[in-house]
Amino acid sequence: MSDRPTPPGDDRPDQDLPRTPGSGREGLSPVPYQQDKAAPQDPDRMDDVTDRADGAGADGDATTYSVEKPLDLSQKSYSQGQLVRRRFLRHRGAMVSLAGLVVITVFAFSSIGYGWFPGWWEKEYWRGGLVLDQGRPTLELWPPALGEHPFGQDNAGKDYFALTMRGTQRSLIVAFTVGLLSTIIGTIIGAVAGFYRGWIEAILMRITDLFIVIPALVLAAVFGKMANGGIWPLAFLLSVIGWTGLARLVRGEVLSLREREFVAAAEAIGTGSGRIIFKHILPNTVGTIIVSATLAIAATILTESALSFLGWGVRAPDTSLGLLISTYQNSFQSRPWLFWWPGMIILAIALAVNFLGDGLRDAFDPRQNRTAD
Amino acid sequence: MTTTTDNYGDQTYTGSGTPLEGEEVVLAFDDVDVRFRTEFGSVHAVKGVDLRVRPGEVVALVGESGSGKSVTSMTAMRLLPSNARIGGAVNVAGKDVGRLSERNMRRLRGNDVAMVFQEPMTALNPVLTIATQMIESMELHAVARGQAAHDRAVELLGMVGIPEPERQMKKYPHELSGGQRQRVVIAMAISCDPKVIIADEPTTALDVTVQADILDLLRSLKDKLNTGILLITHNMGVVADMADRVAVMFKGEIVERGTVEEVLLRPQHEYTRMLLGSVPRMGAGRGQMGIRVREEVDAQAPMAIELRNLVIEYQRLGKPPFRAVDDVSFDVRKGEIVGLVGESGSGKSTIGRCALGLIPAASGDFKLLGEDVISMNRGQLKSLRKRIGVIFQDPAASLNPRLPIGDCIAEPLVVHKVGDRKSRQQRVYDLLEAVQLPREVYNRYPHEVSGGQRQRICVARALTLDPELLVADEPTSALDVSVQARVLKIFAELQDQFGFACLFISHDLAVIDLLAHKVVVLQNGKVVEAGPREQIMENPQEEYTQRLIAAAPVPDPIEQERRRRERHELLLAQGEEIAELQVDDISEFRGTISDEKDTF
Amino acid sequence: MLQFIVRRIAISSVVLLMGSALMFFATINSGDPLADLRESNAENRDQLIAARRANMNLDQPWWQRYLTWLVGASKCLVLSCDLGTTRNGANVNTMIVNAAGASLRLVTLSVILAIVIGIALGVLSAIRQYSGFDYSITFLAFLFFSLPVFWAAVLLKDFGAIRFNNWIADPALSTTAMAVVALVFALLVASVLGGDIRRQALTFLVTGAAVFGAVFAFDQVGWWRRPALGLPLILVGALLALAFFLTLTVGLSQRKIVVAGLVTVAAGLVAYFVTAPIMADPSGWLVILGLLAATVVVSGAIGWFFGGFERKLSMFVTIGTGVAFGFLVFMDRLLRNWGAFLEIKPRPISTIGSGIPQFDDTFWAEIFDWGVQLILPTMVLTLVSIAGYSRYTRASMLETINQDYIRTARSKGLSDRVVYSKHALRNALIPITTIVAFDFASLLGGAVITETIFGWKGLGAVFRDGLNTVDPAPVMGYYLVAGGAAVIMNMLADIAYAFLDPRIRR
Repeated sequence: MSDRPTPPGDDRPDQDLPRTPGSGREGLSPVPYQQDKAAPQDPDRMDDVTDRADGAGADGDATTYSVEKPLDLSQKSYSQGQLVRRRFLRHRGAMVSLAGLVVITVFAFSSIGYGWFPGWWEKEYWRGGLVLDQGRPTLELWPPALGEHPFGQDNAGKDYFALTMRGTQRSLIVAFTVGLLSTIIGTIIGAVAGFYRGWIEAILMRITDLFIVIPALVLAAVFGKMANGGIWPLAFLLSVIGWTGLARLVRGEVLSLREREFVAAAEAIGTGSGRIIFKHILPNTVGTIIVSATLAIAATILTESALSFLGWGVRAPDTSLGLLISTYQNSFQSRPWLFWWPGMIILAIALAVNFLGDGLRDAFDPRQNRTAD
Repeated sequence: MTTTTDNYGDQTYTGSGTPLEGEEVVLAFDDVDVRFRTEFGSVHAVKGVDLRVRPGEVVALVGESGSGKSVTSMTAMRLLPSNARIGGAVNVAGKDVGRLSERNMRRLRGNDVAMVFQEPMTALNPVLTIATQMIESMELHAVARGQAAHDRAVELLGMVGIPEPERQMKKYPHELSGGQRQRVVIAMAISCDPKVIIADEPTTALDVTVQADILDLLRSLKDKLNTGILLITHNMGVVADMADRVAVMFKGEIVERGTVEEVLLRPQHEYTRMLLGSVPRMGAGRGQMGIRVREEVDAQAPMAIELRNLVIEYQRLGKPPFRAVDDVSFDVRKGEIVGLVGESGSGKSTIGRCALGLIPAASGDFKLLGEDVISMNRGQLKSLRKRIGVIFQDPAASLNPRLPIGDCIAEPLVVHKVGDRKSRQQRVYDLLEAVQLPREVYNRYPHEVSGGQRQRICVARALTLDPELLVADEPTSALDVSVQARVLKIFAELQDQFGFACLFISHDLAVIDLLAHKVVVLQNGKVVEAGPREQIMENPQEEYTQRLIAAAPVPDPIEQERRRRERHELLLAQGEEIAELQVDDISEFRGTISDEKDTF
Repeated sequence: MLQFIVRRIAISSVVLLMGSALMFFATINSGDPLADLRESNAENRDQLIAARRANMNLDQPWWQRYLTWLVGASKCLVLSCDLGTTRNGANVNTMIVNAAGASLRLVTLSVILAIVIGIALGVLSAIRQYSGFDYSITFLAFLFFSLPVFWAAVLLKDFGAIRFNNWIADPALSTTAMAVVALVFALLVASVLGGDIRRQALTFLVTGAAVFGAVFAFDQVGWWRRPALGLPLILVGALLALAFFLTLTVGLSQRKIVVAGLVTVAAGLVAYFVTAPIMADPSGWLVILGLLAATVVVSGAIGWFFGGFERKLSMFVTIGTGVAFGFLVFMDRLLRNWGAFLEIKPRPISTIGSGIPQFDDTFWAEIFDWGVQLILPTMVLTLVSIAGYSRYTRASMLETINQDYIRTARSKGLSDRVVYSKHALRNALIPITTIVAFDFASLLGGAVITETIFGWKGLGAVFRDGLNTVDPAPVMGYYLVAGGAAVIMNMLADIAYAFLDPRIRR
């Protein structure tokens, strides 16, 4: 589906040609529209039909009857980034999710520690012990108390809290590494493909097409088996699979930004390609990149746990949330907590990250804002 | 702010030509007031508007963007978004729109009041055939059914001047040209024989010759069908051409009203005067609006652009390449402004982009500032680009939204490594002063300033390196007239001051007439005619140029009527047809309407 | 259009080829195929190793082995596949043929269900934007989107299979359960139908009462073990279907079409008695398909005869009604056989496997045999992928509703119903077709997980065993079927795209 090179300008011969499906230009990026830069961005400076009496413009507009919005220099200046941040911080769902995610992360890393960094929870995840009260959880909600084994014990008497925290750690490390790595790879390849087009683009599009014929999970399974249980190789190999989606999106954005007049203007004054990509194009795709990075993290959490569940991800003696569920799925009738905790944590992380992505999307794209919130 | 609508007592509003008591009125706005509730508070878009439209009459509602004219018209359809709070009363064909049930309101829409929208490209559903879209409203309002509806649709398409209507019925909108689509929209609007048509900027998106045809067609509607038309427009020329009465809107209020002669020839209100003063007039030549251009251009001045037999092609998959520019030759001398005129698809922007080195030429010679661009390598091109400035059409898209304005203007200095931080900043301050913006915008962002101000910033950026050549691609066509006047004035002053050569691309003949020394007229990628401004504008030789110039409306009803007659004569002389509703009398038009037609 | 589709297939084939090389290479490098033998203490260990080396051609370089496989697989083009053998010498062809049926049935069913339900939910939540319904759908979409498939599957296995089996042995519903069911239904219906507060309250009460009454009645008559619709319910259902199709098209104002629909229902009534002996135990699916074809022809003829000006619309309504009637009759028969099936299999939903081997009984019982096993895995897969469809449809629909041509349609006086169903929906569906291809691939991946949990001997199991033993032949066999199915699905999506968007039909 090599895309017909689109000539710029209003003399385009066949603007009515459809957008090829699968070309990444279907307008289905997680940021559905490039925001309208001309629209009023700031609530406090709505368009010129507001009630506010407008005096002579500060820029010395001679006539009172100009429809031109007077430049009000008494207003505080906000950059695009600041506006986005403000909108994001006002997004209730995203804030709650962010808090939840931070709590889970802090718990996972501080409780049992990481590497040489000691944690405050003294039980080890690999050490078995006496099974107390059939291993029931001792967590009390009110008055809040952790007790001896807040998440209970498994049949070997291992502390399930420590196990779950260890699993959460592993899952988070893999997810965030993949999120970061695949975003970097995807952004670079997508930008290069969209900007230079030609064979780089052709190869990129064929590679992304690969995921139409090979289920991503299947490829991940084969790669996961290659990783042989180590989380760093696993994270690396999953990144190698994970970048394509973002690359498609970035490519699509770059293609449309390339046609924008400010890029043409930069090109016309002799700006080099590198400067155009990094100074003019990529900063304007930040929305897409950040949103899809969050989605990649959520997807990775699910993929990693599924792989571990099937035995191709993290393996014993190390543990991960998926592996815990796999190990204890048959204890569901007798000791349901062994099944509930890791599942709920996966769900909580994925949900929080997805909502975070949603909040970011709203922040980057104010046209989809909810008025009735 | 003084208005003529101050008293809402017994006499609802004043202004000559308004309908008297007892006269038939098909559309009446009484003290219509619209507020939009947004999450940031209420926006008062329309503040007590009174307006009447009689049958067979065109009332123009004129204003610039944000004046509330479209919002006013949508109250008659009751199609405003749900966050609108509407006060006052709207009466369509004797029915109070505010009191109708939703069901009856739907019977009113399309049946008693129809709309013609601005964008023919998007006003039709792309996945349904013309036939489906034509027939559905007729069947809905029981005007005709089945085969009868189909026949009537064919007939209507013929009436609005679409060739081979039977064949077009099976087509999809994308297979028709913009002008044809607008004709389809008009055919749809009159299909149920509405009493009033609301035409919201019906010609703004069209080329000037197509605009003239569509206006002729609309005019014949009111003459032959006795339909009342509420024409919403920002174009004073269109008003002069069409309207019987005019109401001028400014910030949600009608500030002046009267017959078209009164308002356009003897404006009372300061805003109307300012607005009319900002419109460049075809044929009025130089010196309008205080814009002066240095007339004498050194005939021996070196060439800034030399084009010889330029050909530009776009590659298309599986088809022969599309030739956007075909064998074009012209020159631009230093210090000279050359206007490149043409309608959409003429290749004018393509030439401009080629001059900037953004598109390669397929063949021909292209010399910029005496150097051959086509054979240049990257480094040479860069040093050449230092000497060329550029302004684009869309002020919303031509500044990087992530960069502060100061950085935008200083970008050429940074790219070409001219000066240090301090001297660059000083240069930006100087340029801001030159385009009459305060220094404080240096640290602001593009989204914080208005369209006209952005375009002035673009002018400043184009001039940062003292270019010898400036390419201006439709620099004012996205701006309101009053804003355009200001930008043009600044532009002319700067050209006078710096003396750069300029390739000024525009579809607006009046603007070209105002600024250019030489004019090149393009059609379908070929040069139709080229020469000094006086020669082209006042004595065009080619048929196409004549048609083009004749089609441009002027904001003076008497003058415009003369021009319209001249244009019709010209068209007949050239063997073309004059657009009008192809129907002899009203009974022929109404004959196919079924007796069951919705009335309530 | 043909050119467009041919080009897409050509590209897909190239991609399929590239993918096969990648899969092959990755699979054989994913571990040591001799690992189990190296650790074994068997006396003939070395012999076994040598045998396997020979069996798997391990002495050849990887590309040579790949080419061997490729040559065998490319014979599929002339319908004589040779997909090689497993490391133990079992024929992969037979393995794949035995496994593919159940898996593809599962995935295809899930895709279709997900598309239909997902798009419907997406459209509804776009139309009722910012309503309680919209917020709930949005929240649920996020929830399902974030749901680990395997975890949900294990949960469903417990609640859907084990506890359902316990319950069906002696079915009885508590009043609380009935109330909850009625409440959920009432909330759903009220928020979908919308309107002002008073209307919504009324809808809520009526629906709640009706559902509660129905569930109570079912409970009283022991419907759960001996279900049936019966003629009255079939008639009510058919009339409801008629009403639905009428609302979708012309509304109730068109007398002729209403009459045509009623005649169709009457004809259905006659057909119900006429076909009763055939339906008691049809000899196979061909009979059912034949009856379906007859239904379409007869009801289409009725529509054509009574249609008047709007023949097309009228035929659409009558065929829709006729098929709905037929479906209800089919369901009635099916339900009547539930009791018989329960006799054979007292715990109807097994947690393992895709059906009883060599099950042989009436046509209806056979449907239950594999159908019941299909329910839970399908549910899991569908739930997960509904989320994506509903979100995309909602976004696409909202974007479409803001287009100029929708405003034009409204300005003609069309009602919301026509504006949405005729003008907006088709445009909104265009971008959705692109998602289908990707979604199908991800469902095939999801099937690997669900098949593992529900113990199916499907394609997922072939892949799983192959990968665990570092044996390329079964893995590549799986890849061929999955990839081929994905390419076909992709082609269908392209055809749908071309069907929806006239701009590429040229």
